[in-house]
Amino acid sequence: MEWLVVLIPTLPLVAAIVTASLGPRVLRSQSHLPVVIALALSLLCSLVLVVQVQRGYTENSDTGFEVPIQLWSWAVIEDAHVPEISGLTAAGKSLDEPITRPFRVDITLRADALTATMLAMVTFISTLVALFSVGYMHDDRGYWRFFTYLGLFVFSMTMLVSVSNFLLLFVFWEGVGVCSYLLIGFWYTRPSAAAAGKKAFLVNRVGDFGLIIAVFLIWTTYGTVNYHDVLHTPAGKVVVDSKTVQEAVSEKAAGMDPGSTLIRGVLGQSRIKTNDFVIGPDGELVVLAICLLFLLGACGKSAQFPLHIWLPDAMEGPTPVSALIHAATMVTAGVYLVVRCTPLFAACPTAQLIVACVGGFTALLAAVIALTQFDLKRVLAYSTISQLGYMFLALGTGTMAGITAGFFHLFTHAFFKALLFLGAGSVMHAMGDVIDMRKFGGLRHILPKTHLTFLCGCLALAGIPLFSGFWSKDQIVKAVKEKADQLEVSAVTLADLDTVASAPPEKQVFTIPPPWSASIYRWLHWSAMFTALLTAFYTFRAYYLTFWGRQYVPEEADHPHEPASMWRPLAVLSVCALAIGGVLEIYHQPAGYLQQTPSLSGESFIPKLDGEVALISSVIALAGVGIASVLYLGDRPFVGWLQAFFEFRWLSRVTRRAVYCSPYRLSSEKFYLDELYGCVVIWPLRTLANISGIVDRWLIDGLVNLIGWLPRFAGWMVRSLHKGLLQFYALGMVLGLLLLVLWMWWIR
Amino acid sequence: MPVDLETILILVPEGALILSATALFVLGAADRRRSWWPVCATLPLLFALVMVVRDWGRPVLYSGPLIQDATGDTGRLLSVVLGLVMVLMAWRQTRRKLATEFFGGLLMVVAGLMLVSRANDLVFLFLGTELVSIPTYMLLFLGKRNRASSEATVKYFFLSLLASALFLYGVSFVYGMSGTTLLVGSGDLLGIRDKLPEIMQSQIGGLLPLGLVLVLAGLGFKITAVPFHFYAPDVYQGTTNVNAAFLACAPKIAGILALTRIVVNVVPAEFYLGAKLVIVLAIVTMTVGNVCALWQTHVRRLMAYSSIAHAGYLLIGLALGLASASSGGLHGLSAMLFYLVLYVVATLGTFGAFAYVRSRGEEAEHLDDLAGLSQTHAPIAAMLAVCMLSLAGIPPLAGFWGKLTLFSGAVELAFDMTHPMRGWFAVLAVAGALNAAIAAAYYLRVILVMYFKPPHSDSPVTADHGLQTVVAICSVLLVLIGADPGRLLDAIEPQAVRARQVPVEPELGMNAPDGEQIPE
Repeated sequence: MEWLVVLIPTLPLVAAIVTASLGPRVLRSQSHLPVVIALALSLLCSLVLVVQVQRGYTENSDTGFEVPIQLWSWAVIEDAHVPEISGLTAAGKSLDEPITRPFRVDITLRADALTATMLAMVTFISTLVALFSVGYMHDDRGYWRFFTYLGLFVFSMTMLVSVSNFLLLFVFWEGVGVCSYLLIGFWYTRPSAAAAGKKAFLVNRVGDFGLIIAVFLIWTTYGTVNYHDVLHTPAGKVVVDSKTVQEAVSEKAAGMDPGSTLIRGVLGQSRIKTNDFVIGPDGELVVLAICLLFLLGACGKSAQFPLHIWLPDAMEGPTPVSALIHAATMVTAGVYLVVRCTPLFAACPTAQLIVACVGGFTALLAAVIALTQFDLKRVLAYSTISQLGYMFLALGTGTMAGITAGFFHLFTHAFFKALLFLGAGSVMHAMGDVIDMRKFGGLRHILPKTHLTFLCGCLALAGIPLFSGFWSKDQIVKAVKEKADQLEVSAVTLADLDTVASAPPEKQVFTIPPPWSASIYRWLHWSAMFTALLTAFYTFRAYYLTFWGRQYVPEEADHPHEPASMWRPLAVLSVCALAIGGVLEIYHQPAGYLQQTPSLSGESFIPKLDGEVALISSVIALAGVGIASVLYLGDRPFVGWLQAFFEFRWLSRVTRRAVYCSPYRLSSEKFYLDELYGCVVIWPLRTLANISGIVDRWLIDGLVNLIGWLPRFAGWMVRSLHKGLLQFYALGMVLGLLLLVLWMWWIR
Repeated sequence: MPVDLETILILVPEGALILSATALFVLGAADRRRSWWPVCATLPLLFALVMVVRDWGRPVLYSGPLIQDATGDTGRLLSVVLGLVMVLMAWRQTRRKLATEFFGGLLMVVAGLMLVSRANDLVFLFLGTELVSIPTYMLLFLGKRNRASSEATVKYFFLSLLASALFLYGVSFVYGMSGTTLLVGSGDLLGIRDKLPEIMQSQIGGLLPLGLVLVLAGLGFKITAVPFHFYAPDVYQGTTNVNAAFLACAPKIAGILALTRIVVNVVPAEFYLGAKLVIVLAIVTMTVGNVCALWQTHVRRLMAYSSIAHAGYLLIGLALGLASASSGGLHGLSAMLFYLVLYVVATLGTFGAFAYVRSRGEEAEHLDDLAGLSQTHAPIAAMLAVCMLSLAGIPPLAGFWGKLTLFSGAVELAFDMTHPMRGWFAVLAVAGALNAAIAAAYYLRVILVMYFKPPHSDSPVTADHGLQTVVAICSVLLVLIGADPGRLLDAIEPQAVRARQVPVEPELGMNAPDGEQIPE
């Protein structure tokens, strides 16, 4: 198993290096070969890994199953961590942990159910996307560059999900960010692409800032940045194997092994067993801070409100990149992070509520914006934001049902969203890089294969019963509903017991009373259902606009075609989009498999299909599709009228300004968020930068030049002494000596 | 003064060199072709090298005017290697007709350097330095036969005489007070070192600093310390590149070795007055050297000012040695020797490269002659760049470690809260750092000219493999020492073993001599 985990990221890295070194000269139009082969092999390894993790779990299934694999030490600083006095009690409470700890960053990978699932998903989608790109990117000048970046991205992403250390997580978090930047700005000669790359990078920095602060806090709080437990034996060996560690811990508890010391990982099994996440008097506040900073990081990477603005612009990159990075894999890193840190979030219900609110609000906001966009890829981008919001909403419930539902949605969404993006890419390829839905229509006869596969994706995204999206979205809605129910019940009991009033005052600050949170979750439940309606509507609006109606193509489309290398991956993905949700649902796989991860093995449950919720979801989805069909199939008589209505044209007689804050305008102008950021953040910063630039150029540079000029001036003065006259030289020597002697006499 | 067989035996290499030089002078007259003389000069040098290496690490031995110790070994080795490198450089560069005179003079100088590094007697020391100086006049004159060269030679001759006079004057003071010129006595013979406590107690003890300042002035000329530096730019400019290389190295080695000897043996421990003097000299010297170098466009003049600046850096080590009797001071002295070695290597490489490049049939004179060297002669440009960067003290080249050991010594004393001169050393460290920054400007300008200016149409090089080898050896050495500086530093360190045991007399008085003491 060890070599599998190492091999999965290594293969794409090697492929990227090979492509980078041989691509421009030797491989040329065959530059895809190393990457495609490596990705396929990685996929194979990932699938084997999934099976092996399952097998390992069945052999040893008491506390979940994890295999940390330590490769080498990156940095070791002995005795770096000395907890404050307040922390001592917490340290003493546990099993004789050392008071001072080394700062160790070990290059440690891990194999567990969560990682294996992510790896399988990432390598599967990336393999298909790489195959698709062979057709899509052919004849591009940067063909080898594209595949180099692709390999590098897959390396970073697989490392991101398989490292067992928060610092390394941050490293590869940045790594995928860099690859995303490079690929968004892949056509760097286009100003819009360069600007979009920059925007994505800068917005992500805000989130990354939160993430790194959270890692610092983790270090100061827990004295380690590892996920897993580490046992230091007296012989100086470092043991990470969870089974050995657990045995040693029990031996230690029995007093058999005095020598070795245990450093409990942040998400290690020993810590989970004792549920020891709140340390010290301000522990609750610290955990809340860590969770919220993690959430900030996740919001950046996963494009959640208010940091979602980069994702739509990121569509400037090549479409396969949008499919892989900005729909299926990288943007789910935030979701992965929150799932990974479930025990931390579980220790802090307030943080969970905030996660849920951010998710629910983003889902609604993005869905509303998606209603009125005409750029096919932008519709899909907002849809991605919206679906990611769903995932966060599910994670925010904090229940096992919610977390597995969120992760399940991540999994299914990856397939159908990648499919939709690749379909959009196929359309774009055929239409000569035109993506505005107003410029083409009725393409179902021109691009029959794309049409069918795109339809599969739409069905899954809209949540039509029995297709992938339906199952996972249904679980999310159900989890939110259950959470609300559960909180309402507990609110009643708590009110009876009057516990809230008797809780210590400082704790009340960070805890929202259950009746409030119950009603918040209830609202989120309604909003999620409404968002589902909008999702079904905008999905099919885009579908009808593209493939139905009068057939016309833009001038740029000189030869609409669908190469086999492009539609074959689409076909594979559409099968997944249709079936994968149902198959997994029937076998209860997502929840059961995921619970093999130690940090998710808290409560055991089997998700059941709730008939009522399922029925309502189906009705909502079908209603959305129905509305879209009425409006956009055929002659579209109502569209113009509806647009005028929602644009408040009827108010224009009263005031013209009403148009600008009409629902239609708000949606099509993305709620003016970009403009708002422009005024509030960008303009002041740019002004400050300009002022600093002026100060730097005139004041600082002037001073520096003045200082640089001083030695030259001194040199000019002194050099006039060297006139070449022998007598003067001799005089100079003697006078100098005289001066020295006098000076010496003086200071004596 | 008793000179026994032992003394003569340990002088075998020096004697061999002098005899060979005499033979060259005499026999050279008989041969007209004169193509084999470089070989004849190499053989005695190789013999000396073998002897020096064989004698390496022998126990400390005092034998009358001679001393055999680690400092002496280091100096001897450096001298012989310098001689060999100079032969290699001058192999094709000397005019055939004058070859025997040139190489004979060179052997004499090497012998003089070796004597200086072993001298245990002030008179002997003077003899050694003169054995370096006098052949140098001849070498300078042999280099080029034109007005500029003659003028340079005459300038050097007269000013060198003046410096020797100052040195002797200082020695006479020391002799007057101690009654001996022997530095360290052996057996029942007492040296200055042994009489030092007695001198300090006596009435005239205050005159010792005056004598030492005069000695410092004489030796300051050799190492081109301000205000005894005036000759350097003119003389370097007037002579050939090979001679300039020689002039930048040989007197400096002699001066530094002599200063080390005197500081270790004659100067009272913790001689703060002297340390203050040397600190001022160091700061002034490096500043003058660097700021003047900023204006130069003539390569040898540039290097002359550069060598003045480096003398300033070297004086930092001397100041450390004077101010601190503890390991810090001795560390400073060994840092000075370490820096000297690195300076010699880089300077030889630089002048070798300058001699290699020819422009319009002449030797490279102006910076412009180096324009575009990276395109026309990439290897030599790269090697010259290495030498320049090392002189500028850019890590990881050797020069960086040299500056680091010197400056860190000063910084160490500056942060030593108990040391009475910590303020002085703080100023010295800051001045050193500032000067290193200024110096980077003109060294980098040479690189800029080589790499970013278009080449001249005609800049052929002399097909001189000797020069090529020298430059290659020097630049490779700089890189290697830079990669592992500890090895060389350790080899130089043992001279610090001889701790100074002279009792401390903190407030050293000086019975104010007036102006009449000063030679006019």
